[in-house]
Amino acid sequence: MAKKRILLLLLSVVMLLSIVTACSGNNGGNQQSSGNNSSGNTGGNAGGEETLEPVTFTFFNAGSSRQDVLTSDTDIGALYAEETGVSFQIEHLVGDVQTKIGTMIAGGEYPDVLVADTEIDKVVEAGGFIDLTDLIEQYGPNIKKVYGPYFDLITHRDGSIYFLPFSPQVGEYIPSPVIDQGAFWIQQRVLKEFNYPKIKTLDEYFDLIRQYAAKYPNEDLVGFTSLTHDWRYFAMTNPANHLAGYPNDGPVMVDMNTLEADDWHNNDEMKRWLKSLNDLYHDGLFDETSFVNNYDQYLAKLTSGKVLGYFDYGWQVNQASQNLKIAGDSDLEYFPLPIVFDANIKDQYLDPESFVHNRGIGITKSAKDPERIIKFFDYMLTEENQIRNQWGIQGLTYEVDENGRFYRTPEQIEKLRDNQYKQDVGLTYFEYYWPMWAQSSTLSDGNAHSPGRQPEVAQLDFTDAERAALEAYGVQTFSEMFSESDPRPWFPAWSIAFEQGSQEQIYEQRREDLVKRFLPRLTLADAGKFDSEWETYLSEFEKLGYTAQYEEYLSTKLKEKVAAVSGE
Amino acid sequence: MQQSASAAPAVTPPKSPKAPSGTKLFFKTLMKQRALVMMSVPFVIWLFIFRYLPVWGWTLAFQDYRPGRSFSEQEWVGFKHFAFLFQDDSFYRVMRNTFAMSFINLILGFVLAITLAILLNELKNIVFKRVVQTISYMPYFLSWVVAASIVMVALSPEDGVVNQVLMGLGIIDKPVMWLGEGSYFWGIFAASETWKNLGWNTIVYLAAITVIDPSQYEAADIDGANRFRKIWHITLPGMRPVIIVLLILNIGQVLETGFEAQYLLKNPANMDYAETLELFVIRWGINFGNYSFATAAGIFKTVISFTLLFAANSLAKRLGQDRLF
Repeated sequence: MAKKRILLLLLSVVMLLSIVTACSGNNGGNQQSSGNNSSGNTGGNAGGEETLEPVTFTFFNAGSSRQDVLTSDTDIGALYAEETGVSFQIEHLVGDVQTKIGTMIAGGEYPDVLVADTEIDKVVEAGGFIDLTDLIEQYGPNIKKVYGPYFDLITHRDGSIYFLPFSPQVGEYIPSPVIDQGAFWIQQRVLKEFNYPKIKTLDEYFDLIRQYAAKYPNEDLVGFTSLTHDWRYFAMTNPANHLAGYPNDGPVMVDMNTLEADDWHNNDEMKRWLKSLNDLYHDGLFDETSFVNNYDQYLAKLTSGKVLGYFDYGWQVNQASQNLKIAGDSDLEYFPLPIVFDANIKDQYLDPESFVHNRGIGITKSAKDPERIIKFFDYMLTEENQIRNQWGIQGLTYEVDENGRFYRTPEQIEKLRDNQYKQDVGLTYFEYYWPMWAQSSTLSDGNAHSPGRQPEVAQLDFTDAERAALEAYGVQTFSEMFSESDPRPWFPAWSIAFEQGSQEQIYEQRREDLVKRFLPRLTLADAGKFDSEWETYLSEFEKLGYTAQYEEYLSTKLKEKVAAVSGE
Repeated sequence: MQQSASAAPAVTPPKSPKAPSGTKLFFKTLMKQRALVMMSVPFVIWLFIFRYLPVWGWTLAFQDYRPGRSFSEQEWVGFKHFAFLFQDDSFYRVMRNTFAMSFINLILGFVLAITLAILLNELKNIVFKRVVQTISYMPYFLSWVVAASIVMVALSPEDGVVNQVLMGLGIIDKPVMWLGEGSYFWGIFAASETWKNLGWNTIVYLAAITVIDPSQYEAADIDGANRFRKIWHITLPGMRPVIIVLLILNIGQVLETGFEAQYLLKNPANMDYAETLELFVIRWGINFGNYSFATAAGIFKTVISFTLLFAANSLAKRLGQDRLF
């Protein structure tokens, strides 16, 4: 008995001890790792600028989801590692950005470098980023040169700079020759069938689809489809704004003269757009599965070639259009058109020169060695390294002709279409989401900063069908189909940040809920019921009750931004 | 006490076992069971750290919480977040959906799982029984992400198997957009939930059946009871304690059923019927970075669950049934 009791006692003591040691073991681990941090820190400092001691920083990129990578494993990254000793372990977003960043904020632990995408304001608000002002002053001559004109815009209201956006313009502005922004897309075979007609208005566009579908009734064609999944639902609502001749300013139309912002979700333009869709639906040509498809199903649908037309942004359907190109049936590829409500409206689909200042890359408060990181950022911003990040390595991914023009051979273009190859070179990882020149920039020798904007490269990337269509319309590039963009110094209005939990933010969320609920109700309304549904929608919209203040707030902010941009 | 202890120690022993005072008894028992007590200490500490300390976080609900600031820097706002919760129009729609889907789930879960368990138990062919059992609980191991994709593909209006079968049978003449019509959502949810979890839910009932004393069945045989009689008078009453306990536990979780399935199957067209309290909290709390609101909603949920749990338990008590505590 006594022995047993002692045994039991011993056992419980051991268990207690094990808990205590487990806890302290943890502490030890923490201490050790923070010890490492500080030693790395001092190493970086003591070495000064000459230090090449290899170091790896962690980088979380919430802006895209691709394969994670250690940059020094890529060709470009290896060069950087050789020259500076710095490499980055990049982790990309899997799943939901809000949850992922929310978890980081709640836990207060960040990677060294963070691209928080849409959640960047929350990170700033939570004190996740360190102030870069002094670091830039001390170590960032190139940063100052490139971002200098924008310091007013990137300085937070508390006077600090927390992150560097991706779009400071350097040199002349080059518009994109391909449409990576919004457009009404139509299948090549439709245009071909009717001998490349010039179409400008929404009615003409839908008529063309109606005619084609009527000609081939047995092919199981889908006239027009839309994307409504999750946050991407704007692909279905934004046309109301574009059709009226406005660029993608987000949720508002901005008057060019008065700079007054007008929330268009309850405007007549919205009604007119949805009514057209409702009519199309009753003709059996609007795809009602638009409201149940998720993003992947939507892309699959576009790739299937059954859809005659859709509205979306080029960057959003890139995957589908690339797949169609690879598949090789040029009739099924899509052609972008600048469609408007009425013939007298000037289309404004192309983005004006803009500076998006609510996205960017920042150094977090968990960063081991901010000096070394900022030095690396500064190093990246030299022209030489900007060429490296955008064009790659000479002889491998681009060539220079006798006039100093950069170009790519057809083989290089073909090879770069393979995502795996592009990743191995490192272009995938370096061409965006770093401190950089805007992709519309021009190098000092007149070459385009971004290969996609260099005519020599863009032309080669077109397929035969695309060239045929372009020729039929008498233009060289897709963007020539579109009107030039008027200067809008505030652009884009959607980059204006709201304070966390502010009334404006709540209003936006409520409006989103309402619009999302009514999109199917309006579009699929029974014949004759559309107007009454619209009235219901308007009265519900009225109940949101904050529209005027919201517009007022945005107008004020827009005017401030215009003043900041032009005041220089 | 002191007196008796010092003055007449010899007298106390016979007295104390008869009428020990409360504290004394407590310490005496404590001493007797000190090994057990010490063994349980780690678990009590564990429980305290992980179950009780977090309750401190409830203070968030009464602040405008900003991450990254210390506790003293937070701004206190009283019941603002609760007011927001209860004043939002969609809150009532969301509560209706939550309760509706939970009760559908609860009832279907019980009735079908118990039925299937009894049917499986009556099977004589062991191989067939095992096969049915395995197949029926296989979907449980699928993640909802996969399961939801399967459901979406099956219900697709273009090439979904459900539409094809129904059209083949001549029940409908054109494909139905199952996920596009809000009023179908609860049905779809119930069906997919049943498909996924039914087999798994039967396991505990099958276990409950095996505990029933076989001699009862023998006695019933002698009395000439047929199969249905035996099920009705022996199997079901034998399972009753398990059923009641599970019922009470599940009622306590009424507000927690339903996140993944609804999250993955919802779309703009069926949102009015698909959104549950948890999705509401995700949208307004987590996605919005409004942790205070999320906490307020969490407290609300806990209070409701607590009430329901106790209500169910005391009801069971009053009906003279076995109960949880």
